[in-house]
Amino acid sequence: MKRTGMLVLLLTLVALFAFAGGGRETGTDAQRTLTINSYMSDEAPRQAFAALVADFEARNPDIRVVVNTTAHEQFKTLLPTWLTSRQAPDVVTWFAGYRMQAFADQGLLEPLTAAFPGTSFQDAFPEAFVRASTHNNTIYFVPQSWYWWAVYYNRQVFDRLGLQTPNTWDEFLQVSAALRNAGIEPIAIGARDTWTAGGWFGALNAAMNGIEFHLDLTSGRVPYTDPQMRRVFETFADLNTRGYIMRNATSYSWQEAATLLFNGQAGMYLMGQFIKDVAPENVRDNIDFFRFPSFGRPGYAVETPIDGFMVPRNAQNKEDAMRFMAYLATRESQELFTVPLGRLAANKHVPAPNPDARRGLDMVLGAEGATQFYDRDAPEEMAARGQNALIEAMQNPARIPQILTELDQDRQRIHR
Amino acid sequence: MTLRRHHLTPWYFLALPLAMYLVWVLMPIAQSMLFSLTDRSSILFGRRYVGLANFFRLFNDRIFHLALLNNLQWMVAFVLLPIPIGLAIAMFFNQNYPGAKYFKTAFFIPMTLSYAVVGTIWVWIYHPSFGALNTTLRAVGLDQFARQWLGDPRYMTRALILVGIWRQVPYVMILYIAGLKNVPEELVEAAMIDGASWWQRFRSVVLPMLRPATIVAITISIIDSLRAFDIVWVMTNTQARAAEVLATYMYSSSFQFQDYGYGSAIAVVQFFITLGFILFYVNHTLKSEHDL
Repeated sequence: MKRTGMLVLLLTLVALFAFAGGGRETGTDAQRTLTINSYMSDEAPRQAFAALVADFEARNPDIRVVVNTTAHEQFKTLLPTWLTSRQAPDVVTWFAGYRMQAFADQGLLEPLTAAFPGTSFQDAFPEAFVRASTHNNTIYFVPQSWYWWAVYYNRQVFDRLGLQTPNTWDEFLQVSAALRNAGIEPIAIGARDTWTAGGWFGALNAAMNGIEFHLDLTSGRVPYTDPQMRRVFETFADLNTRGYIMRNATSYSWQEAATLLFNGQAGMYLMGQFIKDVAPENVRDNIDFFRFPSFGRPGYAVETPIDGFMVPRNAQNKEDAMRFMAYLATRESQELFTVPLGRLAANKHVPAPNPDARRGLDMVLGAEGATQFYDRDAPEEMAARGQNALIEAMQNPARIPQILTELDQDRQRIHR
Repeated sequence: MTLRRHHLTPWYFLALPLAMYLVWVLMPIAQSMLFSLTDRSSILFGRRYVGLANFFRLFNDRIFHLALLNNLQWMVAFVLLPIPIGLAIAMFFNQNYPGAKYFKTAFFIPMTLSYAVVGTIWVWIYHPSFGALNTTLRAVGLDQFARQWLGDPRYMTRALILVGIWRQVPYVMILYIAGLKNVPEELVEAAMIDGASWWQRFRSVVLPMLRPATIVAITISIIDSLRAFDIVWVMTNTQARAAEVLATYMYSSSFQFQDYGYGSAIAVVQFFITLGFILFYVNHTLKSEHDL
């Protein structure tokens, strides 16, 4: 008897360990559960998304939504393991384009055809977004919001020093020099998060060498040892040599560096529009942006990453996931998310939510082309190596030729 | 009949743990070894064997070399520093003066914190502008020694190792405090009567008696240094860069970049390095148990 009890206890413990961590709670009543794994860990998007989820639940009383939020970088690491696990979440946040298509290509995503009968998908989204959301003519992704990258600056600081926003690289260097002379860090960059260097990589390369060259590079067709690439690395390292990049940049996370911009210790920050998410209410209007300075090439490119959602092939509750995906594409749900954040909705029937977003949209519409971001246009491993390389070049400019040779060895291996 | 029963009894008790060990330890190890012979996405979509290609790639991979070198630094530092420091603290508190218990507890506290917490605390201590370390250096006029500890590739690894040591010392201390309890006081007294100095007593009586504790401390420290991961991961925002060690490189290769075959190959190398030390340790403990 005692032994049986012991055995039961043991088995229970084993079962607890084996099945713990799944986080899947079974509804106590007739409600079904929809599990969403989200990377929206910053306060502002998290709240906007919570409001959206509440609206969805109100419309679908039979569905209870569980949102598991994971910090952005960890999310990226964990997503492949979720997608390949048998107990995958029902819906996950992700990026349009190459990064989504890589998963679709591996058969890890559920086609969303059921959620979008007829041409409803094509009716809701611009053609470029439809392309970035499909793979082999099958829809795998619902785009929700998109934003632009630009140089954000502290308007108060610029006004106090009588500085104009620069249009050309020379003007940019002059502004940087003026900021440095005034005892202000000219360029904030939180390079402890290496993707901040990825922003510089994309912006400099497109501005110096053109968007075609940049896209050829991110798709692995151009060697990193190309002299044009070397100029990009040298230009970035030169900014640091001149003392324009904030001191100790590699010790700051992107938010910590943003704080310097907010409180006027730094003047400029090349960043995505989401920098406004982390800006305190009282300085938000003081933070403005200008287009990345020109190197004299005609035309310009803008980085416009598209964020959205997809359904894993191994999702448990695909039926409700499809309902949620259809809901996500609607004008109402896209407004719920983008308006409070000042982002642009992917749904083409949603107008730009504020004058700021209007300007962002105009900047994008005037561009010769849009890119997604280094780590979205190139394989993640390549982007990770490239971003590390750019930071290394900044800290050790004498080694740039060697750095690029090593980087190109990585390219040859990764883009087989 | 009874004899056979007698022989079978231990196996009844061992069956469950052995089965668990087989399923959760041995099989995954065997699987990793198998995966190390396959290409990048074999875990997901059927195996495609590539022979030893992953291991050949290790030979020419500068980041793998960096990780090996950094692990070596961790190992050397973990043997040379926490052990004497831990021993010194243990000796000090073994003298049973008032309050010793509280100091022991205080020294033990780092051990009770998880690596993630320790890492987060030290990120702040190391912060170049307002961290405690640089602030202290500047306060005592040593401005020229203030560094970007976690941002400069030259200092990253050693700054991280220091944090590891900070957490390792209490562990070694506990081992030695336990060991010192087993040193018979009569022996020390006898040596005293024979006119042995403090140093002679320590060298010729106490230290030899502490041999088992020392062996355990060294082996555990080596193993801990080889599995360094948490501190590096937390303190570099998951971007190890110059501080890469085998475990972080294995993790990012497999799980960040989904190159499971290559990640497994790194894991296999790490496994055999660690296994060598574990075998030495087990061999020694078995022998010393035999001696008793």
